[in-house]
Amino acid sequence: MTLSTKKLRQIGIALIFILPALLLFSPFVIIPMAYSFRISFYDWNIVKPELSEWVGLQNYLDALKDPIFQRAALNTGMYAVVTVPAQIVLGLMVAVLLNQDIRSKALFRVLYYLPVITSWVVVSLLFEYMFSGQAGLINYVLRDVLHVVDKNILWLADPILTFVPIHLLGIWKGVGWTAVITLAGLQAIPENIYEAAEVDGASPVQRFFNITVPLLRPTLVFEVVVLTIGALNAYISNLLITNGGDPLDRTHFILTLMYEATFGRLDFGSGAAISYLLTFVVFIISIIQIQLLQKQVEY
Amino acid sequence: MLDKNKIFVLALSVMVIFSLFLVGCGQANNVVEDEGNTVENSEPVENSAPNENEAAEENADMDEPEAEEAMEPVVISYWHTMSDAETAQLDNVIAAFEEQNPDITVEPTRYAYDDFKQAILTGLASGGAPDTARMDIAWVSEFADQGALMQLDGVMDDFDDLAASTFAGPLSTNYWQGHYYGLPQNTNTQVLLWNTEDFEAASAEVPTTMDEFAAVACELTSGEEQYGYALGGTYFWAPAPIFYAMGGKVVDDEITTATGYINGPESVEAFSLLVDLYNQGCISPNLLGGGIGTADGHATGLYAMIIDGPWMVDIYKGNYPDFEVNFALIPTGADGTTSSVVGGEDAVVFEGSENPEAAMKWLAFLLSEESQLMMAEVGVIPTLSGLIGNPALPEYFDIFLQQLETAQARVPHPAWSDMDNAINNAFQRALRGEQTVQEALDQAAAEINDLLN
Repeated sequence: MTLSTKKLRQIGIALIFILPALLLFSPFVIIPMAYSFRISFYDWNIVKPELSEWVGLQNYLDALKDPIFQRAALNTGMYAVVTVPAQIVLGLMVAVLLNQDIRSKALFRVLYYLPVITSWVVVSLLFEYMFSGQAGLINYVLRDVLHVVDKNILWLADPILTFVPIHLLGIWKGVGWTAVITLAGLQAIPENIYEAAEVDGASPVQRFFNITVPLLRPTLVFEVVVLTIGALNAYISNLLITNGGDPLDRTHFILTLMYEATFGRLDFGSGAAISYLLTFVVFIISIIQIQLLQKQVEY
Repeated sequence: MLDKNKIFVLALSVMVIFSLFLVGCGQANNVVEDEGNTVENSEPVENSAPNENEAAEENADMDEPEAEEAMEPVVISYWHTMSDAETAQLDNVIAAFEEQNPDITVEPTRYAYDDFKQAILTGLASGGAPDTARMDIAWVSEFADQGALMQLDGVMDDFDDLAASTFAGPLSTNYWQGHYYGLPQNTNTQVLLWNTEDFEAASAEVPTTMDEFAAVACELTSGEEQYGYALGGTYFWAPAPIFYAMGGKVVDDEITTATGYINGPESVEAFSLLVDLYNQGCISPNLLGGGIGTADGHATGLYAMIIDGPWMVDIYKGNYPDFEVNFALIPTGADGTTSSVVGGEDAVVFEGSENPEAAMKWLAFLLSEESQLMMAEVGVIPTLSGLIGNPALPEYFDIFLQQLETAQARVPHPAWSDMDNAINNAFQRALRGEQTVQEALDQAAAEINDLLN
């Protein structure tokens, strides 16, 4: 009995601490989330919600059957598959370099981190200009400087090539972040382990793969999970560079499709369903990733 | 396991962030309980009081007798997407209106065109819709179908007179299922623009027929250095003038089917002309996406001809002050007539406006000769047919007014955006050689028919 009252008291105290956050969290986050979950089961009428028609799982089924949605899912998956490993590998390389005793270390750290804090909108437009089919920097370099092509490449007019700037932008903008996180992980590895390995005659390559990588594992796990979630939620660069799906609705990401369903076609039920499908996938992938990569290494 | 917690918090916050996109606050105020938004009562109502249901709703909402309203100045909101010059002139229009109606204050809010639909939707969902707005003519039937707009015929005092004084084409864009939900505030259309230097260098003549147009487009093309013609994209607005001039039609007049219209011989011929020119390299590849815009390309001589609207005068005045803008009518199709596409904006009153009377007074003022002439000073083409030939109008309006006589409106249907998309995609597939023009338009016809049923 005494135990449970003690427990109750603890919960009470915890509640006091949580309450202010909860009060803010509920109206702006939890309630809207629940509300949009409800919308996803209706043919929603935005002006007169009470006239909305209950359609059950129809919005979900329609989305899953829609070839445009399937293509968007594929595009989103590809974006994650390409940009997440690239960011991690490049970020690790940069972090290892920045961890050396080099001059102007602080300056390089700032330079690598700069893309992270730039506005997505600004850099998306910048990449769009660079990859312009007629006057872009990339075409200029390829055609007039390197002479590898004799005609302009219409990057943004092609449903595959248009992902070149989108993927490059994602990687370029993310490397600074992975580098900083990895650098923190690197600095947490005790120097004496390296010294011991050196005494035992381990080469720098051996030291990297047998000490650095295993001990960085928790950091890398964290990065993989966060970057994957981020990649599945990619949105701004695609919306600006492809106008959301151009050409022929073949270049959508899940979120640009959700935006188009909601605010383009005014089909709020469908938009909500698409967003919950993505939520579900993100949730499952995150759990799997954490389980798979959770193993700890102790030295 | 701090990481694990962090990850879950992150996962949760990510879920939260995109669910936020979908949600306006879910208030459902100002809702009439009976079905449908239009009330069958179409008799003129005295003093433009709202019809019974709205009156009842208003009383329930506000518990305020109307007399009290008239005592203090009424504030009505007006949302629009005007340019800088237009916005500045709008202040003068509002000042003139307020001088004549001291009991009404107009509060304008300006939006970017790309955000406008979303802003209105968010407003509707949260009960914060404006009283009045100037919206794209292609949106009126869509919002009327959602029940967001107030029916004006039979409700607004002077509606019949006002409607009769406007051009028929722009007025028709306000019509949906037997009623009018707005009034045409301004109109525009597209005409041919030709670059003096390009034409003089090749001593070419400005084309007056489509055959001449095709020949001149290729004559003025030279590799990647110069193109005879360029379109801004593949969305319907871009090829529409040539499409209509060549006798193309999207659907039948009753809006029941697209079969035999969007895939009929005239429509196929129009898109074939463009696809052929593109395949010959006479149309710039920018229309597929990611190239140099038509405005810049035309001013710099890259594109000898483009087709665009009256706002180009102002754009060039700002960006290329030395550029000489030349307009010509859209070349004629096989039957010898020119045509183009009607653009513009309509003024609407939103359902649930607390001051519909004041809102309608403001609409009537926007349609007055006084305000239409004021806006014309900054390049806005009036919708009052009585103003044709008025010496106060800028000279370059003549060609647009002439083109407007034959210009056609896009399909006034709530699913127009989807129809536009179907045609856009068909055009893309044909340009990319994935389908013949006929196959592409057959598919578009099937897609549009689905939208109509």
